[in-house]
Amino acid sequence: MKILVCVSKAPDTTTKIAFNADGTALNKDGVQYIMNPYDEWYALVRALELKEAAGGSVTIINVGPKENDTVIRKGLAIGADNAVRINSNGGSAMYIAKQIAEYAKGESFDVVITGKETIDENRSEVGAMLAEFLDMPFISYASKMDVAGNTATIDRDIEGGTETVEVDTPFVLSAAKGLAEQRIPNMRGIMMAKRKPLNVVEAVAFDDLVVPVHYELPPAKSAVKLVDPENMDELVRLLHEEAKAL
Amino acid sequence: MANQYVDMDSLKYLLYDIHGFEDVLNQEHFADYDREAVDMFLTSVKDFSDQKLYPTFQDMDKHAARFEDGKIIVPPVVETVMKEGGELGLISACFSFEDGGLQMPLTAMTAAYYIMDAANNHLPGYLGLTQGAAELIVEFGSEELKAKYTPKMLTGDWAGTMCLTEPQAGSSLSDITTSATPSDDGSYKIKGQKIFISGGDHEYVDNVVHLVLARIDGAPAGTKGISLFVVPKNKIQDDASLTSNDVITAGDFQKMGQKGYCTTHLIFGEQDDCQGWLVGEPNQGLKYMFLMMNGARIAVGRGGAGICTAAYYASLEYAKERPQGRRLSAKGTKDVNQEQTLIINHPDVRRMLLLQKAISEGSLSLVTLTSIYADLYQTVTDPEEKEKYYLLLELLTPICKTYPSEDGMRSINNGLQVLGGYGFCSEYILQQYYRDIRIFSIYEGTTGIQSLDLLGRKVAMKGGKALMLLANEMKETMKDASTYDDLKPYAAKLGAKLQLTQDVLGHLSQFAMKGDYERYIADATIFMEFFSKVVISWLWLQMATHSKHALVTANMDYSEEFYNAKIHTMKFYFKYELSRTSSLAEILKDQDVLTIPNEEEVFA
Ligand SMILES: Cc1cc2nc3c(=O)[nH]c(=O)nc-3n(C[C@H](O)[C@H](O)[C@H](O)COP(=O)(O)OP(=O)(O)OC[C@H]3O[C@@H](n4cnc5c(N)ncnc54)[C@H](O)[C@@H]3O)c2cc1C
Repeated sequence: MKILVCVSKAPDTTTKIAFNADGTALNKDGVQYIMNPYDEWYALVRALELKEAAGGSVTIINVGPKENDTVIRKGLAIGADNAVRINSNGGSAMYIAKQIAEYAKGESFDVVITGKETIDENRSEVGAMLAEFLDMPFISYASKMDVAGNTATIDRDIEGGTETVEVDTPFVLSAAKGLAEQRIPNMRGIMMAKRKPLNVVEAVAFDDLVVPVHYELPPAKSAVKLVDPENMDELVRLLHEEAKAL
Repeated sequence: MANQYVDMDSLKYLLYDIHGFEDVLNQEHFADYDREAVDMFLTSVKDFSDQKLYPTFQDMDKHAARFEDGKIIVPPVVETVMKEGGELGLISACFSFEDGGLQMPLTAMTAAYYIMDAANNHLPGYLGLTQGAAELIVEFGSEELKAKYTPKMLTGDWAGTMCLTEPQAGSSLSDITTSATPSDDGSYKIKGQKIFISGGDHEYVDNVVHLVLARIDGAPAGTKGISLFVVPKNKIQDDASLTSNDVITAGDFQKMGQKGYCTTHLIFGEQDDCQGWLVGEPNQGLKYMFLMMNGARIAVGRGGAGICTAAYYASLEYAKERPQGRRLSAKGTKDVNQEQTLIINHPDVRRMLLLQKAISEGSLSLVTLTSIYADLYQTVTDPEEKEKYYLLLELLTPICKTYPSEDGMRSINNGLQVLGGYGFCSEYILQQYYRDIRIFSIYEGTTGIQSLDLLGRKVAMKGGKALMLLANEMKETMKDASTYDDLKPYAAKLGAKLQLTQDVLGHLSQFAMKGDYERYIADATIFMEFFSKVVISWLWLQMATHSKHALVTANMDYSEEFYNAKIHTMKFYFKYELSRTSSLAEILKDQDVLTIPNEEEVFA
């Protein structure tokens, strides 16, 4: 089975988010990036599991500048066989989907997996657009996937429950929690990653249809205190002394 | 439990910006490493610690290792750590490629273990001792021993231990009595008892490979007659199956801290059927152990640094949330109608928190630098450079073992105080850190023994050359610091303390020259305390100078607050800690002799 996993990078979850002066882009000063967890923990790991069970290959793809190579190499360290970076400074979801589709078209992948969303803007757009560009079926929010021959049985998270669907390859899938469990790259994998192919492909011309005009942060939340469930005395103390509710 | 137990930015800042770890990575021996690979490994270890180590930390204290029906019971996370830690490379990575490792620098491994120490100090020892025991076999054992034992140790399927201590032989290993009687097949029959053996037995590995110090029958008395043996809990049969080797676990010491890390009492050869295999040459055992000791001592300092770091973040989080009392107004009054202030706004609480920050980051800086010297000593080829790093490593190692352990305790003591009454209560984590760190100044050579090593051997090494080399390094920092007007006074203060060190040593050496060694060495621990503060001040001045440079040139990888806080903490350390060296020097130069035994009964 030939699998393509689309990986994006996202600010580390501990990053304090700020925007540039005119509010049109994230202020990147001091921001540290990680691989988008839905791509890393679920999409990539399930792809590796399928490969380990039935053979084949796992390619990871990212659309972005050279700095993204660090995130890509993490994917290789976790176990992907090779990687492709479409050299570009990025753009809208449609732009990204177009770039990936252009590459994937000629490669006859059986399964293309994205994360259900990237945790920076949570738009869940790339997977569906990519499926459209590739003219493949799209299954979103997959929390379980088994493949037998050319047919995949997939559980999708839907409001209030789960839907089980069947689909024949090739198809595009977006991965949600539950699809697999995070694999932490070990040192041997990290060293091997440096020797695996990372091909850089130039982006195709594509005029973005959507341009961000302004970002705004939500109003600051008032502070919450988390109390360990074992620590009832502390909860009582806080309710008594601080919330003055008792 | 607190949300944070370690700060990855501070760790990376010390590694790369302050101590130039990339110079180590540029050595031919480490050609396969670069910053990206090391950072990825550290992220893996942090993820592993977040998921497996930190969540079990409190539980390991509540469900201590224990001895039941002849077996040691330890928490199940020990199995996870041996298996998954082994797979991550946490036992094998520093070994050479030929020996099944990945030739990773010690400094990278030190940074990785520091994260784990901060997350859950009960666990890294299980991996670390296995690594240490395998290292002894690889370094000094025959090819046959290597092939038989190390592959399974490096994966974490088997564990390893260091068996030195006996009931009558702790600090003084010359009194070891465990015996080794030669057998016809080239092995030895081992007989004796070892106590306090960390990680000595548990159900989560198939075998435990003990590295045991013992005396071959007829060997000379004292340290010259001690040999090193591989003594597995289970012998390996020809068909690779395992059979018992008459190593009996007689108990587990119940301790005040590090309760999840078993500390066993082992009896070798009670049935006269315990086989051991000599490592290297006869009577060289202690020498082999000591060659490995630098690594083990750096590891203890690293543990101390890790625990006091975690305690600092726990105290800091509490202080930012706990309202109590009010600040004084400009008139010196308090307005009771005003809302309570958070305790972090009280100067005394800030002093305690700054002390925690200064000690924990200062300790980490020392541990990082010592590891870098160890890596450079191992890999540089120029003989003069090699000697330099050897001497610096030898000089700093006892301080690296001692300062984070001793002042780490002080730091956590202050951290516990930050929590007031809650600090004393079991639901809050500070008391566990306080108990856990207590062992670090005892095992791997007590503070007393480290101090004897520092003053008795290291300071005088090669006619004082090690000390001179360190002084030169300090002078470089003072020169750099002096290029900034506001750092000049601190550089000058450090210079004065370096001079004071010379004065103190000049005073003490009179006694050594007269042959009165007992007097020379009697206050070695006070000298350790004195000199540690000078060294840590130097390390803080390095951080402040670098931070100043980053701010002035606007060449910043971290936030402005990050750099400002480093400069502030340096100033704090100089005012509140370095100043104390004056009274320590006064003690060291005092003429009264009050601790050397004579006929007088002073404990009447
Ligand atoms: C939890 C734990 C884990 C341990 N793990 C291991 C292990 O894995 N393997 C192992 O072999 N051992 C281990 N040990 C043993 C440990 O290394 C010894 O306890 C330590 O070296 C001190 O020896 P001792 O307990 O016999 O104390 P002693 O040697 O009796 O020391 C008592 C006091 O006397 C002082 N003292 C002794 N001699 C001198 C001297 N010449 N000059 C000045 N002061 C002196 C010491 O500093 C100390 O303050 C462990 C101990 C503990 C508690």
